[in-house]
Amino acid sequence: MKNLTAVFATLRKKGRGQYLLLSGCLFFAVLLITAFSMMMYSPTVQTVLPQGGDSRKQVMMIFVLAVIGCGAFSLYAAGLFFRYKSREAGVLLALGMSRRALNRQLCREVLGLTLESCGAGLILGTPLCWGIWSLFRLFLVDTPEMLFIFNLRAYTVPFLFFLFVLFLLLIMENRFLARVNVLDIIHESHRPEPVRAVPSWYGWGGILLIVLGGSLGYFAPSFCVRVLQWYAPGLLTAVFYLPALVGLYWVLLFTVVGGWHRGKRRYAHLIESGMMQFQGRQTVRNMLVVTVLVAGAYFASFYTPMMMTSSQAALKNREADYQFFYRADQEMISQAEIQELAQSYSAQVVNYREVSSITLAIDGETEVETEGPMGVTYTVQYQEMRSEGRFFSVSAWNTLARDNLTLESGQCIASLDRYGYPSSISLVTNPVTGQSLKVETLPSPLSSRLLSDIYLLSDQDYAQLIQGLTPEWQEVQVVFDAENDSYALAKDLFHRIVESSGPETAVFDGYDRISKMNAEKAGEVYWGDQVEELNLPVIDLTRPDSSSFRTNWLYMPQFQALDEGDFLSTYAVYLLLFIFISILCFAAVSVILYTRSQSLILSNLWVYEDLHKLGASAAYRRKTAQGQVKRVFLAPLLTGTVLILCFYLLILLGNGRVWGIDANEAVAFAVCLALAAICSTLFYLLYRFTLKQAWRLLKL
Amino acid sequence: MLSVQNLCKSFLVGGEKYPVLKGVSLEVKKGEFVGVMGPSGSGKSTLLNSISCYIPSDSGKILLGNLELSQLKEEQLARVRNEKLGFVFQDFLLLDGLTVRENIMLPRIIGGKNVPAMEKSADLLCDLFGISHIKNKYPADISGGERQRTAVARALINNPQVILADEPTGNLDSKSAQKVIDAFLQAKTQLSATIFMVTHDSYAASFCDRVIILKDGNVQMTLEREEKERREFQDALLDSIRESSEVKES
Ligand SMILES: Nc1ncnc2c1ncn2[C@@H]1O[C@H](COP(=O)(O)OP(=O)(O)OP(=O)(O)O)[C@@H](O)[C@H]1O
Ligand SMILES: [Mg+2]
Repeated sequence: MKNLTAVFATLRKKGRGQYLLLSGCLFFAVLLITAFSMMMYSPTVQTVLPQGGDSRKQVMMIFVLAVIGCGAFSLYAAGLFFRYKSREAGVLLALGMSRRALNRQLCREVLGLTLESCGAGLILGTPLCWGIWSLFRLFLVDTPEMLFIFNLRAYTVPFLFFLFVLFLLLIMENRFLARVNVLDIIHESHRPEPVRAVPSWYGWGGILLIVLGGSLGYFAPSFCVRVLQWYAPGLLTAVFYLPALVGLYWVLLFTVVGGWHRGKRRYAHLIESGMMQFQGRQTVRNMLVVTVLVAGAYFASFYTPMMMTSSQAALKNREADYQFFYRADQEMISQAEIQELAQSYSAQVVNYREVSSITLAIDGETEVETEGPMGVTYTVQYQEMRSEGRFFSVSAWNTLARDNLTLESGQCIASLDRYGYPSSISLVTNPVTGQSLKVETLPSPLSSRLLSDIYLLSDQDYAQLIQGLTPEWQEVQVVFDAENDSYALAKDLFHRIVESSGPETAVFDGYDRISKMNAEKAGEVYWGDQVEELNLPVIDLTRPDSSSFRTNWLYMPQFQALDEGDFLSTYAVYLLLFIFISILCFAAVSVILYTRSQSLILSNLWVYEDLHKLGASAAYRRKTAQGQVKRVFLAPLLTGTVLILCFYLLILLGNGRVWGIDANEAVAFAVCLALAAICSTLFYLLYRFTLKQAWRLLKL
Repeated sequence: MLSVQNLCKSFLVGGEKYPVLKGVSLEVKKGEFVGVMGPSGSGKSTLLNSISCYIPSDSGKILLGNLELSQLKEEQLARVRNEKLGFVFQDFLLLDGLTVRENIMLPRIIGGKNVPAMEKSADLLCDLFGISHIKNKYPADISGGERQRTAVARALINNPQVILADEPTGNLDSKSAQKVIDAFLQAKTQLSATIFMVTHDSYAASFCDRVIILKDGNVQMTLEREEKERREFQDALLDSIRESSEVKES
């Protein structure tokens, strides 16, 4: 040992644990961010989550949260590290080392440590992502589009994160050096700190604020849209959630500092509360981050089960095994060919029905949006020809659905739309001839769930309106059941249908030719044609197995066997992504909780020493430490979990036409509860582990 | 050697000024072992910290040889602390990650001078203070007395002009304290070190050549040991301390 560098190397070797904690945290943060970013940049995710879409926004939001979380725990770890280093620094300063020399050594250490750990994270992030990806494909779902493709651009975010962390660490190092005080080290005795009392009404007041802010934030957007007819910018409506955040802070602070034990019972927890008087506020700020992260993680984990249970339920309730429709101008596979195909798979086509339908223009109100400085406002405008509607004659419907409905001329029955809402029209128009007919929509909608978004007319009206209608406005609807059918048959048939479809059918299911006509009349470009500008789903007839094609093609057949077989793979990417996000968030939460507990115990080490000197038994000190660690864990985990469960419950209650929960939603919620239970168990194990570590620190 | 002239220091607490040192003057000659005593809160530690410039003083002069410490810049001060002053603290302040021998060598390493000779100097000091057998152990594995003797050895390795010690025996039992005092005495007789020691302990102070009694931020009196027996000197110290506290009560 000849020089300072050697001294620092020796000190580093002896203080390995502290160095490991910091570099471990940095490594972990960069690793996760790299892996996640790599996944976000993969073409799979890019195509499955359309840009500007809600899912992409949610994923990005959670990703940002996770990055913040990673940043937060890296900073705690750095704080712990510098606290550990402060004694050494103080002694060296006392022995006459100049601050400049100390700065040089510390800078070198911080730089080396950051470079090593972040570098390792950057390098290993890609293999990790690839590993999770492959495991996922191996055990859960494998679809042809789930190719893992390396993308150099994915390194942007982790690299920026690395620079940010390095920058912050160097700032912290400088501040640390400026603040390190020889006297504080010499008089390690603890100077009394002033206590800032926490008002006793913070507890219940906070809960009230959470409820208030939660409902304000939840109802504000729909209030703006429904009542004010104004699509307020998201940032503005998000403001209404603010009281909830303040409330959360109050509740956490109250729980952590004072605790809910009042009166005589509070003496049992006097020591823990006493210690928390000082670290309380700081701890609570960390807890807030944890709470938000936990909520984000649960949000991500619940997303897929929610989506899956509801679509699974829809699958089960179908009235026919096979149904599809095609434009009358297409050379489509015939009944005989279908039967032949089925036979080659030793299946039997039964109950084959085939009827024709026509597409007419229907009237209705549109929202005319105007973009202003305060976001988008809209006014409602009536249009005689608003959009497309598909019409069946009542006799065709009766054949198709085995119904026996009758209609007078001028009457119309509407089915529920795809979201389950009834619709009502008063005027239908032949888009080719312009001939129109006033109709009266009967109040009770079509009870059958066979098809959605359709209308029935009397045979007489139908015959009148079809006059002069060109084939591209006419369709053929096919419905049949099958015995002994298979996924292979369904897929084969689906591919035949796609092969028989001409390029003019390559449109997504929101494409509306009437709206297009309106737009053109107004001299505008129809939004549905701005595929690239608006990032609309691309329908490529040569890639019928892509998720984007399956979920968005206008003429997508509904084959029970196919959908059941493909069910998981359609959601595979979502599942993968959200699993990944939850892993990321939960990992961040775990590291924060662990380091926080550790630092809390460390900064109160002397209290435990004093307690020991005052004759407190080991059991008592164990219990006190347990109380402290419990505070760090319980409050944010519980709050985060309960909050997100409430949020999902609210969504479920508000979903659908009636306020309440149906059987499917109950299943979805049960799945979420089970997930929450599993995660909570894991957190309990982490808590036990952290507690053991704390006891070890206290030599108990 | 060390001369403090009219040193004043006050602390601002809640916007109010509390004078702690109100014009302290004292002198420590080369090779002298000087003690500072006084009731709690009399400003002993403040005096010591002002001398080592850990806290800036308000007015007055601190002269080490002919260097005026209060005029020095941070870098120069660090150098003075490293080369011309030696410190012994109540809490030892050894680095837990270094062995006893490495801890002793630390000031030399920081100074970056005389590196080849430092191992020899460290071993000599270890021999002198009877800690040779533990010189490769870590501070966590040795007793409090041994730690403090290590600290004394560390303070001496750069042959400082003065050793400043704040309650060096405060954390030790009487047997260990005795050994540390012996170490100071050896440093004085064999290395002709100059020692300035703040203490509460009249027993430790009774080994000094001279004891300064501080009260309410002023030097109240100075007692010389001269040719007195140690017991006799300790009794004299106790008497004068008792007197000064009686004055306060009346
Ligand atoms: N940083 C500070 N800020 C405010 N007041 C201080 C500070 N340091 C010391 N004091 C005050 O200065 C006075 C003298 O303190 P000092 O530590 O010098 O006393 P002392 O003689 O060393 O006492 P003891 O024998 O208990 O160690 C005390 O009243 C103390 O409250
Ligand atoms: Mg003192």
